[in-house]
Amino acid sequence: MKGLKEEFLRIISDYQGILHKVNLIYFNNQPDREDNFQEIVYQLWKSYPQLKNKKSIGSWIYAVSINTSISRIKKTSRIEYRPTMPELTDQPTVLEDMDRTESLQMLLKAIYLLDETDKSIMLLYLEEKSYEEIAEIIGISKSNVGVRINRAKALLKQNLKSLNHGK
Amino acid sequence: MENDELQKIWKHVDTEISHWSKDELNVLLTSKVRQTINKFLFISGASVLICTGFLVFLIVAALNRQTDTIYLVNNLTLAIITVISLFIGINFWHQLQGNGYNQPLISWLDVRIKLLSKWLTGKYSSLYLYIIPFLYLLTVLSIHVYFENKHFFEVLQTKESLFGLAVATPIGLFVAFYGAIKIRRYQLRNLQFLKDLYARLCDLE
Repeated sequence: MKGLKEEFLRIISDYQGILHKVNLIYFNNQPDREDNFQEIVYQLWKSYPQLKNKKSIGSWIYAVSINTSISRIKKTSRIEYRPTMPELTDQPTVLEDMDRTESLQMLLKAIYLLDETDKSIMLLYLEEKSYEEIAEIIGISKSNVGVRINRAKALLKQNLKSLNHGK
Repeated sequence: MENDELQKIWKHVDTEISHWSKDELNVLLTSKVRQTINKFLFISGASVLICTGFLVFLIVAALNRQTDTIYLVNNLTLAIITVISLFIGINFWHQLQGNGYNQPLISWLDVRIKLLSKWLTGKYSSLYLYIIPFLYLLTVLSIHVYFENKHFFEVLQTKESLFGLAVATPIGLFVAFYGAIKIRRYQLRNLQFLKDLYARLCDLE
């Protein structure tokens, strides 16, 4: 058991970036992100003994992280279905004109406006996952992954535009 | 904007993330496991304790009224329903908390929707409309008859008892139904949320 836990913690330590990124796109405040991070680690630990294909560790972590986050949104939706957008500080007009931190913040805000399924598809696209991996994590056919990505990207660009106009 | 521009911007996210050490992750996991076990023990423990207390009352009351057949039937029915409800309740909670998170999103949603639908909109989903008043009435009768120290039918023939039942029943039922309907509405909203997500993923499949 100790060896198993040790191995698990090493994997989570190596792959924890995934957990943080999923948290970033699904939750817009630190306490929710921390709670969800802990919940994801717990759900990963619970399903770890069933992880047979050690090659697809990344896909397994993405799947558990996304499912856990959606489950948590469902629970917190009693209070607020979609939290309000935080105020924007600066006034640049296009993403390319901003510095990296600003454009990342803007991108995160635009992703945050997508629905839960588009968020996960956009995250996997931004992480440069192959169509095969995206299909495996989301559970849709490979042929539809491209259509999904294009749709999510179009919505994302629309969101970016309205965020720029709204400032 | 070029598509890969978004990916370039996204790469910057790694610099924004502060990583946890292995020891911190261990503490995090251990405390979460402990929390979850405590939550399970509290919920199941409280349910078992309440039901056991109620069953003890039913048995003690029945032992004191061995000659009152109707009262014995009343208490036996209540005991059976209580045990079945406890078993179904704990089983459902266990299934809902079950280990299904390591599946693709669409399969996870499917399992969750089926489980909740069976409970909320399935064949027996409206059973609570009959069970609540039935259980309520049997419980009130069991307690009332026991403390009145009379036979089941004798109690039902007294004006005071009938008046008490006529007043207490609608109030008690209102409270019970109010709680049940509130919980049901919340669960139906959750189910709808999951169904919407599932439909959005399936519309191209």
